Amino acid sequence: MLGILVRRLASAVPIMLMVSLITFTMIHMIPGDPAAAIAGLAATQDQIANIRADLGLDQPVLTQLLRWYGNLLQGDLGRSLLLGQPVLEATMERLPVTLALSAYALVLTLVIGLGSGIIAALRQNTWVDQAAMLFAMIGISLPNFYLGLLMIILFAVELRWLPTGGYVPLLQDPLGWLATSTMPAISLALLLAGLLARITRSTMLEVLRQDYIRTARAKGLPRRQVVIKHALSNALIPITTVIGIIVSLLISGSVVTETLFSIPGIGQLLTQAVLNRDYPMVQGGLLITTALLVLVNIAVDVFYAVLDPRVRYDDA
Amino acid sequence: MRVAASAAIFAAFGVVLSSTLAVAAPFKCPNVGGNFVFGQEANINTLDQMTSLTISTRNIAMNMYETLMTRDENNNPILELAEAMTEAPDGLTYTFKLRQGIKFHNGKPMTSADVAASFDRYAKIGIQRSTLDNVDRWETPDPFTFIIRMKQAQPTFIEALSSFSAPIVVFPSELRDTPSMQMTKPIGTGPFELMEVSPGSHVKMKRYEGYQPNTAYQERTGFGGYKQACLDTVTFRIVTEPGARVAGLKTGELQGVEDLPTKSLPELKKDPNITILALNNWWIQIANPNTSFPPTDNVLVRKAIQAALDMDEILDAASDGNYRLNVGFQYPNQPTYTDAGKETYNLRDAALAKKYLTQAGYKGEPVILLTNKDYAPMYNSALVMQQQLQAVGINAQMKVVDWPTSVQMMQNTTEGWNFHFTGWGTQPALGPLATMQFLVQPGAMYKPKGGIDDADLLAAWKDMNTKTTAAERQEAFARMQKAVLEKVYSLPFGSFTKVQGVRSNVKGFVPFRIPRMANVWMTN
Repeated sequence: MLGILVRRLASAVPIMLMVSLITFTMIHMIPGDPAAAIAGLAATQDQIANIRADLGLDQPVLTQLLRWYGNLLQGDLGRSLLLGQPVLEATMERLPVTLALSAYALVLTLVIGLGSGIIAALRQNTWVDQAAMLFAMIGISLPNFYLGLLMIILFAVELRWLPTGGYVPLLQDPLGWLATSTMPAISLALLLAGLLARITRSTMLEVLRQDYIRTARAKGLPRRQVVIKHALSNALIPITTVIGIIVSLLISGSVVTETLFSIPGIGQLLTQAVLNRDYPMVQGGLLITTALLVLVNIAVDVFYAVLDPRVRYDDA
Repeated sequence: MRVAASAAIFAAFGVVLSSTLAVAAPFKCPNVGGNFVFGQEANINTLDQMTSLTISTRNIAMNMYETLMTRDENNNPILELAEAMTEAPDGLTYTFKLRQGIKFHNGKPMTSADVAASFDRYAKIGIQRSTLDNVDRWETPDPFTFIIRMKQAQPTFIEALSSFSAPIVVFPSELRDTPSMQMTKPIGTGPFELMEVSPGSHVKMKRYEGYQPNTAYQERTGFGGYKQACLDTVTFRIVTEPGARVAGLKTGELQGVEDLPTKSLPELKKDPNITILALNNWWIQIANPNTSFPPTDNVLVRKAIQAALDMDEILDAASDGNYRLNVGFQYPNQPTYTDAGKETYNLRDAALAKKYLTQAGYKGEPVILLTNKDYAPMYNSALVMQQQLQAVGINAQMKVVDWPTSVQMMQNTTEGWNFHFTGWGTQPALGPLATMQFLVQPGAMYKPKGGIDDADLLAAWKDMNTKTTAAERQEAFARMQKAVLEKVYSLPFGSFTKVQGVRSNVKGFVPFRIPRMANVWMTN
């Protein structure tokens, strides 16, 4: 197991280097002047030139690249052009927000997606199955921005159960966090829960038709034990792959929800950075996000090995 | 006594004194307390006011910072941290007597050393540091005297010094060497002090108990005057989605919001708990031609384009229905407003446009409208303008990029575009100098051929800067505006109204260039 972990971590290093180089190249290839974005609407050329000089943007791109890698080797991701604060600090301020929201949305996704998928499989071709799949289709089809707005109107404006937006940190006020995060988490989770429900259903149906399940039932094992111990544990291997992708989507794809609910997450931060050509923020923020996603993928790989001994033996 | 001193100063500059001075007793908060949450439409990048021109930064920071001079309700220069100012007869020396008893939010008393340190930093990294180009040095002969010595007389210096675009805010001297954009936690002398900043989420301020109001006034006026913090706390929450701002105002989570969408207004107006406030003259929507690239290098083509435009249609689409027709580069409520060149505005004359096109020998060359979708008004106005130009036979084409790219193209190239869409909000409010600087080199937005200014414009611009009386400078501005419009070096469409809203228990909130939180209170 340790071998798998070490090999995966070692393979992450070239990925990170590649991502950082591609990110640097692409963000500098996009036309658009960060100084103009910082200066605002009605800045004069003189003012924009001042900003460019103050922030070192008038240096050649190669110089900027070498300086960035030099600083990176010393653990310095640079300073955001737009925010004026270190990239690492800005990212670490936003990352917990996104991670907490993603974790909440993931729990909802797993409960709704796995639950409805398993039930649909067990009640195949009944009204329960059809209702669960209809729900899944609605989840997949409804844009989360629209769903979010509908929820604001219903739960915030009409019923006054939840706030319209804003964010309270989890550690500062857990109940406040729950109140501000519930609608965003639902709007994020519903799409992914629909996806997970459909995949869980089809995987479970496939496993439930296997000979060993029939054998287990013939031996007279209780239905619950057959489903949980024999069917679900085998179905979990492909489902784990999907969950890995879902985690990646939650971390990287929450920008619309963050914007709608005024949540200061990493998605908003990076989107603003790209739109405003905040080079250090884009480079550093994407590097950290990439590292996180690589770690998620390593965790999924390790979990495979836990679930399936063949993976351990193959890698040995 | 102080009022009289101020009056004398402004009389010398030909500046109209605020009528608020006539009020008998200074403002007293009718109710103290409450937590005000304001829904702001745009994110803030930094609270380092010296290095930012963005409105979102100013909205928040200028409730915490103050300056030596600022602008009153009508955008006229007034004293703020100074109680008196004298200008030497030769115009080479300005002596400011600072108000005494003022303390920064960290408890340190403010002296001339702090003012000098603030000027030092501004001269080094201030985004508008050209304001101080004509300044030779500043001196601090005693703790409450600050002297500015000029290299040469500049009749417009006070206008520039009092600008709120990127103001020379005063902070404690120990912060002098803070690098550019890194003064992210304001320590000022304003009525509110910073509590917390959560980038992308909110900025929270609380009443500064040690605040020393300016007793030369009895009421708040513009950015200055007699200010009092009645509210316990003020939170600027970033709510970029208009629907969420409306929802927040309805539920009372937000006590005030800016930029309410037009379609929500009928419903909000029926709500007795909500007051809708119009902030007229917020922004002038503009398209600037590229006079170095065909076919807009031909003045007759530009005149044809000008003649074809229907400003009502353009502004209606661009402003979501909240606009006023407005000739030129100043707002109609300003003393510097002029309608010089009005005969060129909103002509809607297809026959005249076609006549100019024939005279120009126009052969259907593309007229490229360079715009962006980051700012919806710019995109919408370009879209309508394209239709209007096509209707008279002009081959108008849109080039849509994002804002930083459009600015880069406009600044760095004189090819591939014919009109660049932008908007000026703060600059017209500051006055003609701040606005017309965009029409002279360096950086004349109409891209003059060979980079050489139009002689008429340059002559008028020089007069605007050097004539000694306000009347002469105003005449020069009118001349310049007329020339710009007649030669179509710019197409100002008209001005937008910004619609704000507050809960009905919020009192004293008067729309201005920033949401001012001083002298605002809440009833129960």
